[in-house]
Amino acid sequence: MVSQRDRELLRGDLRARSKLSTADRESLLKSYLPEDLSRPERRRPHKTPIRSFFKSQLHHLAYALTHIIFGIIVRLLQAYHAVVDRVFAIVYHHHRTPELIRKDVRGLKRLPRHLSTILTLRKEDDALAVLMDEVAELAAWSSCAGIPQLSIYEKTGVLKSCIPALHQIITTKLASYYGSPDQQPNLHLYAPHHPVHGSTTNPGKSTLTMLLLSSTDGRETIVDLTKTLAEMSQNGKLSPEDITPELVDAEISDITTQPLTAGTDTVLKPEPDLLLVFSPYLKLDGYPPWQIRLTEMYCTGSRSHGVNGDGEAVEYQGYMRGLWHFAGAQMRFGR
Amino acid sequence: MPGSMHMSRLRNWFLSSPPAEYLITSLKELLIGALQQGPIPQHVAFVMDGNRRFARSHGIETVEGHNLGFEALARILEVCYKSGVKVVTIYAFSIENFKRSKFEVDALMEIAKVKLSQMAQHGDILDRYGARVDVLGRLDLLKPDVLEAVNKAVDMTSRNGDRVLNICFPYTSRDEITSAIRHTVDDYSTPIQQAPSTAHAARTPFSESHITQNIRAQTKSYDTNSDSESTSSSSAQEDEHPRNGRGIYESGSSFSSSTTLHLGPESKGSPHRPASESPLYISPETITRQTLNDHMLTKGTPPLDILVRTSGVERLSDFMLWQTHENTEIVFLEVMWPEFDLWHFLPVLLGWQRRISKARQDPDAEGDFAGEETDMRLRQGGKAKDI
Repeated sequence: MVSQRDRELLRGDLRARSKLSTADRESLLKSYLPEDLSRPERRRPHKTPIRSFFKSQLHHLAYALTHIIFGIIVRLLQAYHAVVDRVFAIVYHHHRTPELIRKDVRGLKRLPRHLSTILTLRKEDDALAVLMDEVAELAAWSSCAGIPQLSIYEKTGVLKSCIPALHQIITTKLASYYGSPDQQPNLHLYAPHHPVHGSTTNPGKSTLTMLLLSSTDGRETIVDLTKTLAEMSQNGKLSPEDITPELVDAEISDITTQPLTAGTDTVLKPEPDLLLVFSPYLKLDGYPPWQIRLTEMYCTGSRSHGVNGDGEAVEYQGYMRGLWHFAGAQMRFGR
Repeated sequence: MPGSMHMSRLRNWFLSSPPAEYLITSLKELLIGALQQGPIPQHVAFVMDGNRRFARSHGIETVEGHNLGFEALARILEVCYKSGVKVVTIYAFSIENFKRSKFEVDALMEIAKVKLSQMAQHGDILDRYGARVDVLGRLDLLKPDVLEAVNKAVDMTSRNGDRVLNICFPYTSRDEITSAIRHTVDDYSTPIQQAPSTAHAARTPFSESHITQNIRAQTKSYDTNSDSESTSSSSAQEDEHPRNGRGIYESGSSFSSSTTLHLGPESKGSPHRPASESPLYISPETITRQTLNDHMLTKGTPPLDILVRTSGVERLSDFMLWQTHENTEIVFLEVMWPEFDLWHFLPVLLGWQRRISKARQDPDAEGDFAGEETDMRLRQGGKAKDI
């Protein structure tokens, strides 16, 4: 660490535009640098074998100690947040009532127009059923909160293979929230390269558009685009200079919006406003890279320094915490 | 307010007193030495955010805030390199930043120029850390004098060791990805240079028909050689009539060369057609994620392990979109960049070490290490489905 005195000297030098010469600055900094690696080191190890032994032992000890202390702090934080989360889960419970959910978001300054979530397929036998139920819950909460667009990222893409079944499950879930079918919102469910699955648009009701994403929509899509562009260029239909960020953006956005424009008149905003990550720490795990340039990210588990790699359970209080955080507000005990 | 000012002055006085300074320095050294005992991230990226806000909240000029930010950078680089991080990537200036006030852009450019030229002057000092400076981004957008400083700094440190400091300077990630696509397309739309017939001469195994033909037409042997060197379609067509055996030889060899070179389907479909009629290209189907990876500005660096953004803004803001995409841990910290120090970075590093050690003990619990494998399987599955 550079001492206060030398720091002041260097800062003063910066303000006065090189008052010090190069040599002066070097001599000032020399004492803070590690040993010259190029200097012959034949004698050094022989000179202080005991000291370096003790030093490495000390470092081992310090490593163990810091990790023990850090581990204790992490456990305490986890315990604290587990309690807080339980309290929130009791205080903020949706009771499958759209009015309550609407009340929870009423005070918020802004809501995401396009909400995206990262979910994880667990390893148990009924993992798919659990995942589909989570997706259905998220759909219901979002439609109640007034978020019109929801995209679900799940790495393996298993959801894409059962869109009709998923649509059925979500409809059932919406029915349990809203009651009779004519109060339910319109639901459009689709995935890139898949047709839109959903009820006919009823103009009097709100619409929830849901997009399913998987890791093939990430880097793989950009690779596919490159392949097509390379082929076009080889056939002389395009010059490499024509490839601009605007072109790439238009093409990549089309992948996620095209099925929609074919069937309905709603337009999906290709870049999500908020990305909710249901995992112990913030990791994109193959999420499509192009679209998240300006997306705000919120990880439900990051406060507790979680270690296990499995995804966190999708809970209403975590979802609400993300929305409140996005609006720049603090959640309090008591509604 | 005056009270807190007084307190902070008292605290600063205490912290800058020699014994306190000595103790803090030794503690830092000890912690860095301790960190080295565990796994260390190979590649760390920082978004140095909050210089302006720090300056505003402390009532100093914006430029001064940026200067303090540079000091914080020096501090954190020292921590990183001493603890064994190989590559540090920093987001110094976004292409979008050119939209800021001219005064501030000029001031930032001036700082960059001064710092880079100082780095160049002290080439041997950076050498002690074995760090090499690399500037990533749209250098063509820079003014000539800044560009000169950039080139000088890169040149001066180019012979240094394996540590790298990547400075992203006029950079946005979308621009990077687009350039990578463009360069890949450029590469793939350059025809394979070598004339196929000369390659045949070297590669073709001796074929019986060829030898018998050679014996029969001893006198014409000079002719055959000249033919195989020229690739013009007219000569090949002309020569096909008098000598049938040569035609077979030609087609067989061009097929073998096309399989070894992974030529495109159009060239495979017509093995008889000579190269000059339609240029041969590498098939675009051979483009993979690795191909694009190798065309990114960060090519050759280990995958990004940790990305830290300060000042509580929870976006990537067009930084390292491609690179953070998989197993990077993204950390958003509330602290402003000029205040950023080992104390803020330590919990991040410890958490990462903890997770990695856990994952190594129990690979099933964490996807980090098996991740690539499952990914491969998935991709193949996806491919099969597409077909």
